[in-house]
Amino acid sequence: ITIIRDSHAHSCISTWLNAASVCCLENMPSAEAKLKKNRCANCFDCPCCMHTLSTRATNIPAPLPDDPSKTAMKKAYYLACGFCRWTSRDVGMADKSVASGGWQEPDNPHTQRINKLIEYYQQLAQREKLERDRKKLARRRPYMPLAFSEKYGLGTRLQRQRPGAPITSLAGLSLKEGEDQKEINIEPAQALDEVEPLPEDYYTRPINLPEVTSLRQRLLQPDFQPAGASQLHPKHKHLLIKRSLRCRKCEHNLSKPEFNPTSINISSECQVLLTLTNPVESITHVTLVGCEEGDPEDINSTAKVMVPTKELVLAGKDAAADYDELAEPQDFQDDPDVVAFRKSNKIGFFIKVVPQREEDGDVTVSFKIRHDFRNLAAPIRPSEEDDAPTEAIWLTHHVELSLGPLVA
Amino acid sequence: CSKRRSSGRIHANIAAGAVVCVESEIRGDVTIGPRTVVHPKARIIAEAGPIIIGEGNLIEEQALIINSYPENIMPDTEGVEPKTMTIGINNVFEVGCVSQALKIGDNNVIESKADLGKNVILTSGCIVGACCQVNTCEVIPENTVIYGSNCMRRVQTERPQPQTLQLDFLMKILPNYHHMKKTVKGTSTPVRN
Repeated sequence: ITIIRDSHAHSCISTWLNAASVCCLENMPSAEAKLKKNRCANCFDCPCCMHTLSTRATNIPAPLPDDPSKTAMKKAYYLACGFCRWTSRDVGMADKSVASGGWQEPDNPHTQRINKLIEYYQQLAQREKLERDRKKLARRRPYMPLAFSEKYGLGTRLQRQRPGAPITSLAGLSLKEGEDQKEINIEPAQALDEVEPLPEDYYTRPINLPEVTSLRQRLLQPDFQPAGASQLHPKHKHLLIKRSLRCRKCEHNLSKPEFNPTSINISSECQVLLTLTNPVESITHVTLVGCEEGDPEDINSTAKVMVPTKELVLAGKDAAADYDELAEPQDFQDDPDVVAFRKSNKIGFFIKVVPQREEDGDVTVSFKIRHDFRNLAAPIRPSEEDDAPTEAIWLTHHVELSLGPLVA
Repeated sequence: CSKRRSSGRIHANIAAGAVVCVESEIRGDVTIGPRTVVHPKARIIAEAGPIIIGEGNLIEEQALIINSYPENIMPDTEGVEPKTMTIGINNVFEVGCVSQALKIGDNNVIESKADLGKNVILTSGCIVGACCQVNTCEVIPENTVIYGSNCMRRVQTERPQPQTLQLDFLMKILPNYHHMKKTVKGTSTPVRN
């Protein structure tokens, strides 16, 4: 049997990216993730050991709102790390009365300045782009009257005109209608002459080692970079990217990673094309049967296989078939869902493969082939009876196919 | 001929109120305070000296508390003073940990498969993380947390809470499923064969 593996007939694949949170398994499209700065809204990382923080509750006595003299047990929530035993109380964060959503990251004091700088540079970049485009069009001007610009689709910008003004090809480039271009000015950063002096005991004060943050802890919070452990606030957890693949033609999901191991349904089927060649000169009938449960020969298969239920008929090998163009092709009435092609003594047929596990190794399937065989060799002792037609015997073979690794 | 020392007791001195399962192995001169729970398959071995365990401790399965001879001293050497191992109150020895520390204070937690050497002294409120080996020769300051594969350390602001709920639960449930070792009231006279 020769095998052609064609695991998915369509070769155009589209990919799309999603962001997913590992801890709370929240899924969101990448645009939304960008807004949230690629961080999960619910989950926090321990600032000390970078594991995920869990929310714990305690009962604290609190005065009732109606009657301040009586106290009732109220639930208070705090964040705690199960690995290094850091708690939100270590940095002075008060317990919250709601389990989630009450925790805020501290504000960066430089946010305003940074945003202004970003706006300024964005505007600058836009202006430079316009300048470049303007220069390109200016060069093309003698060759391209306005009528052509419509044909070549240079964009509607050129067609926008200020009311009353003559039509010029560059009219649309000066100002977008409806947008007021605010001039954003930034003050340049000021260099200071005087720097705060170091405290006097800087060299003599003994180090309180548990209070000093490590470089890693410090740099994971680039806005603050606290030197003291009592200023290490938890940050929201980073989201991870899921890259999903989908076939453009049949809209089948080819690969959709999941972070939750219990939610994986491996339902992807592949069609595999196998070719079967008949080595003998007589017609051979072939039936394929899947392996039973507990079949002692079925040790290596890692995928389920669905073989065609109908009997396949293979024409005999005919050495002259290639040269005999007048021979009528034998009509076998093949089911097109099963038989892909037929060529003299060869047949191509489909089997469906469903991988059972996410394996690193190859996908292996096994099944049984049952076919008839006529021994046409002349018997040593000619029988005394009439030439009985040679009896067909049915042979069954166990077949194991290794189809190669799973494409991730 | 027996190798038992003259001052050693054979039976453990288990105070009333302690819950010690019969399947635990207690060898040598061991005193266990009230409200301490010793799970089955825990081992408390007083080889080179007595062990005194305070109240409210929780010693889980396969934990090993052993007062062993220092490495270079043979059991038969004369003139070796037996050193007493003292364990305070409200400590937790989680599953599979090994403790040879001679002095352990109160409210400590020794997590699963942690390993404390002979020369370590735990004060109070310390947490030795899972699989952490501490075999230095030092006194661990209060409220220290040792965690991670490199035994990183940090200090926590609150000491671990005593496991009162768990202890109460176990003291009710364990006798339903296991036989308990007999407790004694006060000191018992040493029994000698």
